[in-house]
Amino acid sequence: MRSRLYPVFKYTVIALWACFVAGPFFWAMTTSFKNANAVQGGPTYIPWVQYKPTLTGWRNIFGGAGGIDVIDPFINSAIVTIAASAISLALGSLAAYALSRYRFKLGFIKNSDIVFFFVSQRIMPPVVLVIPFFYLLQWGGLLDSIPGLVIVTVALLLPIAVWVMVDFFNGIPREIDEMAMLDGCPPFQTFVRAILPNSLPGLTVAAMFCAVFGWNDFFFAFRLTFTEVQTLPQAVVALNSSIPPWWTLSAAALFGVAPLILLALWVERLLSKGNLSGAVR
Amino acid sequence: MNLSVTDLCLTVDGVDHLKNVTATFRPGRLHTVIGRTMAGKTTLLRALAGLQKVDSGSLTRAGADFLKTPVWRRDTAMVYQQFINYPHLNVFGNVAFPLKRAGLSRDEIQRRVRQSLASVGLADFEKRKPSQLSGGQQQRVAMARALARGTGILLLDEPLANLDYKLREQLRDEFKALFSDQGDTIVIYTTTEPAEAMMLGDVVLVMHEGRILQTGTPQEVFERPATTTVASIINDPPMNIFAGRLEGGQVTVAGFQATHVSAHLADQPDGAYQFGLRATDVSLASSGVEGEVTFVEISGSETFVHVVVGETPFVVQIEGIHDVALGDLVKLRLRPDRLFAFDEQGTLVRTPSYALASVEGC
Amino acid sequence: MDGLRRHKSMFLLPGLLTLFLIIIFPLLFTIRVSLSGWNVSNPRMDFIGGANYAAMLHDSRFWASITRLILLAGGTVLIQYVIGFGMALLVWREARGRRFWRVLFLVPMMTTPVVMAAIWQTIFHESLGPANDLLGMLGLTKIPWLTESGPALVALMTVEVWQWTPFMFLLLLAGLLSLPKEPFMAAAIDGASTWRTFWKVTFPLMAPVSVAAIIIRLIEASKLSDSVYVLTSGGPGSSTETPGYYLYIQGLRDQQTGYGGAMSLTYLVLMIVTLTVVAALLTRAFKLKGDS
Repeated sequence: MRSRLYPVFKYTVIALWACFVAGPFFWAMTTSFKNANAVQGGPTYIPWVQYKPTLTGWRNIFGGAGGIDVIDPFINSAIVTIAASAISLALGSLAAYALSRYRFKLGFIKNSDIVFFFVSQRIMPPVVLVIPFFYLLQWGGLLDSIPGLVIVTVALLLPIAVWVMVDFFNGIPREIDEMAMLDGCPPFQTFVRAILPNSLPGLTVAAMFCAVFGWNDFFFAFRLTFTEVQTLPQAVVALNSSIPPWWTLSAAALFGVAPLILLALWVERLLSKGNLSGAVR
Repeated sequence: MNLSVTDLCLTVDGVDHLKNVTATFRPGRLHTVIGRTMAGKTTLLRALAGLQKVDSGSLTRAGADFLKTPVWRRDTAMVYQQFINYPHLNVFGNVAFPLKRAGLSRDEIQRRVRQSLASVGLADFEKRKPSQLSGGQQQRVAMARALARGTGILLLDEPLANLDYKLREQLRDEFKALFSDQGDTIVIYTTTEPAEAMMLGDVVLVMHEGRILQTGTPQEVFERPATTTVASIINDPPMNIFAGRLEGGQVTVAGFQATHVSAHLADQPDGAYQFGLRATDVSLASSGVEGEVTFVEISGSETFVHVVVGETPFVVQIEGIHDVALGDLVKLRLRPDRLFAFDEQGTLVRTPSYALASVEGC
Repeated sequence: MDGLRRHKSMFLLPGLLTLFLIIIFPLLFTIRVSLSGWNVSNPRMDFIGGANYAAMLHDSRFWASITRLILLAGGTVLIQYVIGFGMALLVWREARGRRFWRVLFLVPMMTTPVVMAAIWQTIFHESLGPANDLLGMLGLTKIPWLTESGPALVALMTVEVWQWTPFMFLLLLAGLLSLPKEPFMAAAIDGASTWRTFWKVTFPLMAPVSVAAIIIRLIEASKLSDSVYVLTSGGPGSSTETPGYYLYIQGLRDQQTGYGGAMSLTYLVLMIVTLTVVAALLTRAFKLKGDS
């Protein structure tokens, strides 16, 4: 029984939620252009009307006084994310292909158990692993380094890659593998030449998950790197623990999430073009 | 370079998919395997291709143990029932795929692909992707790919089954022409349609419940079916098999006198037999064994009348479209000179005299 | 398929071995260290048996954090589910505006939680932040967000709901869009009301997706610690501490490595058991509903 009020109700709810979602972004945006005057007396929202906007915050994050340099952390984050994602995707796809196509039986351990082993790693709280990782990396001389962080991040991302790709590979008919083998491809070639080219949607989704979870990691970066290497989330949070000017913090935060927002927009475009069909259950 | 199969067995969950399958496939011949669904035809092909493991038996090619050869070295091409092509490659790429794997030169690949596509009638379709093609076209691409390689073994698993009737007929004719000059290739083609098997095959293998029941030329299998099962499979509609007796010069069915004994059965001892009569050799007449019509099928230009005599079912095939009603009582005339006689276990004892005299199978 | 044993391993082992090594050594180390008295003044791997575990049993702060986590995780996931499902239901029949919803919901989900939590901290500032300002504009009293434990928990939950409801929304929307049309047509013909249609048709059909979404979110929510670190630092006092955060304090900041190890393992085992049980219960509960 749809009353005439239903559309009103619907759009109000949506509008409210949209405001809730967009709120923090707008707040950060406004605040990043403030200085002490604009903050002291209470929250202000509209530039020029309620306060005078300045570029201090934005200048600070690029090496200005009292701030930090976000470029270095940005590059570090990018390197770690891309490297860990690439490794996880490669190893994960191989493992996922095996789990999809072959039957494993070691004692009572079957395929589904192995998949479960991979996926269940997501339950592992980072804090459980961090102390041992600390000593391990220290022993290997990899503390506070990019390679060390990459190795640890792979532990986070590998389960995701396997989870997405196993499901995806299961959706590709086995006949394609058979056809490729009959056409003269040994198993590895079958994988590379016949299956992978058909796996772009799945790989894209897996890559996206890896990129997001990799970039957003704070805990490992926090505890396993110090001065030499800092990732972007780390840099932003470091600003928060001192008594930062809100404008620097806001500018840094926006800079920190900007790549992800761009990624989100790109993902949305892919979804609407149907490029990811078959990969998203 | 024969492909020899000896006593291949495969049992899964208590069901025999292959049981003591023994056959020899020779180069330059088109072998058709006819059988109903789930007879084991696909399993056999997959075992030959190496895609299916078997429990026991041997498979050799030119003396070498084929079972040990991995799939990618079996020099075998296969065409599936569901049109399988590489979705990410266009038509040219699809046909060229195995050739590239084999390391042929670009020019050679081009030549072969073009030739292959032309022979299946898809010369102008090189740039299209499989998703843009109709079912029949996709299957032709698959065939082109299988042909272009020039492998020693070519397997086709009911390749026309998923196409509509008219297309099937058309491709069947093309097919015959296409594969007649494949030189030294061993071609094995499975189907559920007897007409197709006999039209295409140089050698026909009749398969049922995992076993090969009979191997021979189309004519042999048709005229001299070794058992009632073969007779049933190789005819469409299935041959009428009914229990009866030879008694005093008469053939009786369900206690009724059906017909007199014709010359070719004259020296058979009296007793119980299983008789076989094709649907075309039974007709509705004014006198004969009486039965009740249980079903009437009109198909194309023929009428199939299902009649029950006592408890024995018969199928009568009549040309033209006739108006026969359910429940009608009709009289069946059985042509005595077309009767096949099988013993009670179902083995052939006597063929009608028009059939071939005994000939050894291949 | 024959002759493929070598190849099977070649595919699986690199990934499996990598993960195994990365996980198993730390796990073994943690088990060993939990049986030692390693702390800041005694940085040695000695052996004290189960003393750490005994001490842990009396650590009310630890158990409080566990209870709190159960409530927080359960509460936020429930809210996320209800809001996410609600919004998905509002929107799934619309053909236009699809892209708008997707962007709207995709963005928060993909941003860095810690970074957004830092922003939220400024929002929840008692005197200088827009949260209280908004309340003031609506004529409501200001709330001491981060200085009192009740409001602090609410603030924390708000941040989590903001961040992860989109995940629920997207998953449930995809599920709704893939439902067959027939049951709905049948319900319409039978003259079922919107409410009835939802309970008898939509909800049961969505059971598998619902269960999957909830379980995934619960797994991720059970690790809550980063947002706590940034938003409230566990405070006021220790009233918003989650096990993840408390373990960070004990095991890392205060370097009670042995004790931290014991708690870590207990935390891990508790989470595995709880999540498995919850997953089993949910699957069974939803299966029953789906039989109507």
